[in-house]
Amino acid sequence: MQFLNRRRFLQAAGGVVMFGARAARAGRPLRLGLTPVFLDNDVAVLDAMALALSSAAGMPIEFEQRRTYEEVTGLLLQGSIDAAWLCGYPYLQHQDELSVIAVPIWRGQPLYQSYLIVGADDPARSLVDLRGGVHAFSDPDSNSGYLVTATDIIRIGERVESFFHRSIFTYGHRNVVRAVAGGLTRSGSVDGYVWEALLIQEPDLASRTKIISKSEWLGFPPFCSRSDRIGKRRIKAISTALSGLGESEAGKRALALLQLDGMTEAGPELYAGIAERMKDLA
Amino acid sequence: MTRKLRIGDRIPLSLRLPALAALLMILLGALASQQVLTTLKRVQNERIRELARIQMEALSVAVGPHVLRNNIWEIYDTLDRAKAGAGATRAAFIAVADSAGRVLAASDPRRAPVDTPIGDIAARAVNLADLNVAAWGKEVLVKEPLIYQGRRVGTIFAEFDVSDLLDERRRISRLLLLWNGAATGFLALVGYFAMQRMLAPVTRLARHIGRSTDAPEPIPDADMPQGDTEIARLARTYNHMVEAMQAKAETERRLAERERLVSLGRLSATLAHEINNPLGGLLNVADTIREYADRPEVVRQSSDLIGRGLRHLRDVARATLDQHRIDRTGQPASLGDLDDIRLLIEPEIRHQEQYLAWEIDAGAETLSAFPAASLRQIILNLLLNAASAAGHRGEIGLRLQEVENGLKIVVSDTGPGLSREARKRLISGGPVTPGGGVGFRVVHDLVKELNGKVNVIRRDGRSLIEVDMPIGERGII
Repeated sequence: MQFLNRRRFLQAAGGVVMFGARAARAGRPLRLGLTPVFLDNDVAVLDAMALALSSAAGMPIEFEQRRTYEEVTGLLLQGSIDAAWLCGYPYLQHQDELSVIAVPIWRGQPLYQSYLIVGADDPARSLVDLRGGVHAFSDPDSNSGYLVTATDIIRIGERVESFFHRSIFTYGHRNVVRAVAGGLTRSGSVDGYVWEALLIQEPDLASRTKIISKSEWLGFPPFCSRSDRIGKRRIKAISTALSGLGESEAGKRALALLQLDGMTEAGPELYAGIAERMKDLA
Repeated sequence: MTRKLRIGDRIPLSLRLPALAALLMILLGALASQQVLTTLKRVQNERIRELARIQMEALSVAVGPHVLRNNIWEIYDTLDRAKAGAGATRAAFIAVADSAGRVLAASDPRRAPVDTPIGDIAARAVNLADLNVAAWGKEVLVKEPLIYQGRRVGTIFAEFDVSDLLDERRRISRLLLLWNGAATGFLALVGYFAMQRMLAPVTRLARHIGRSTDAPEPIPDADMPQGDTEIARLARTYNHMVEAMQAKAETERRLAERERLVSLGRLSATLAHEINNPLGGLLNVADTIREYADRPEVVRQSSDLIGRGLRHLRDVARATLDQHRIDRTGQPASLGDLDDIRLLIEPEIRHQEQYLAWEIDAGAETLSAFPAASLRQIILNLLLNAASAAGHRGEIGLRLQEVENGLKIVVSDTGPGLSREARKRLISGGPVTPGGGVGFRVVHDLVKELNGKVNVIRRDGRSLIEVDMPIGERGII
């Protein structure tokens, strides 16, 4: 796993990286927004994705990374980027303006769970045991990293602001694991897919945490585009490239690094569970 | 003035000086080591202070904005990264507190949990300027105010691992101790032996002086120090001194011998006189016999006279022979010896028309405890001197008295008293100079031989020489 040692470079918000040998030949590159819904700090993963997508789409691809979901969603809505790997929650927040162009398949289905984690030696067994502690969320616009725990608290008749002594946003699922593993916070809300991937890629880090509860299965974070640009050539190209990832060697390698099985298409109905929770929050 | 004898005074100089040299070397080594260690300590302190300062400044810059916005995650993230790259920075633990003294984040949140008071850590932390490696254990905890945009937003704490510095110091100390110990030990040994070698002639000189129980001996040529150093001059001076002393002793011996001869000469003169007087009478008697050979009564009377005169001459000859008998260790003294002395001294008394007081209060038993020759010589010499000192028509006296466990001899005269030289010679065996009391040196030596004591008293115009002689084991030699 030598690629683990090369992470970190793309952490800075707003980093713009050019990928693909054909950039000069094919004019304006495709711009894809990325969020910490996956391990976006891994250069090897980003490299493999860029290679696979640019060759499949027939044009160079450029990644736009921002610190928060809000920023990436903003870029997408204002048209600065062609597509973005968002979370189901911001997608639903802007459902009237955004459309799903592809959904990753993880462990055989386009679904994932939110995990509530604590330190490996913590005696807590459920959410209620965490009352009065310090808690790490990922992002206020993240489903698994905020919405699920927030609505769980509301469902037991509490308020997020008062249930924990203090809660912080780390803007990254990996950071949630770091915060809990390092002892900065007692507990954290994390994307189950990211946690499982970390368990394989950085077992030393992930194994210092343990899961005390898992949410119901919810729609996997989708790739989205603005609905009004769905028919455009550029969007078609990227959506085709995403769907066909499992067919090329480069694509298979990228998927393997992402620990995903492939891509599928889905509509808003996949995110009904998240929509339920959104109603509770409101 | 008496001085207390210190322990140091009992150790010989030949040990004390080399030991002092060795001690100085060791002291020098210790001082040098101390100097190096002090410098090392200072350098290390400066190093760790500079290192800590740089790191604290970098941390302040990195976390300042996050502290201002109270962004706990970013503060933690920064500290965690700083610690992750701590190979060069050596900060083992970093914590940031807000201006109210509550923990915002720490690189090890378990040690300083978020929102808890920093008090415990703050109490142990020192300011950068007070950072001192030696005063702490393996870690030093430093605190610095966190200034952002000109105002104090909190405090930053960092714990630095200085175990390598301590190890380095320990290692250097050990090396220094070993090396300096060996070097000073060697120098001390060299100093010790060099000093001892330099002092060897002094030791030898001291040994030569110390060895001479009777007479000092010169240092043989083989042992003489070379060159023209103080020691060599000292040794030469010592040898000159010894030679001078030997020459002086020889002179004294000769003078004492001469003294004996002088007293013998004087005695011979009186003897000649003593013999000459009766000889005149005897010759007259011989003439009378020749003249009146036919008158038997005159011849018989004259023969009696001749017989008496010849017997007297025989007595004188015997007394003289006894006085100068070569075998001095022979007979014990007797009353007859005193008669002999009187016989020998009387012609001198008569010649000077002196009065002799003769008082013998000692029995034959007491006298027999002393050797005749020594006793006769002592008394005769003292009487001859008294007669010489008393002068024409003077008075002299001899008194022998038994005292407890001994014999007291008192010889007195009406002379002018003993000169200082004579008295010194008689009492302490001082050097013999020509003139003065004759035979005193002989008296002194004989009395000393018999464990006796001489005392000189001047009383009522008389000089009294008292000799106390104990009856000891050496009574009869």
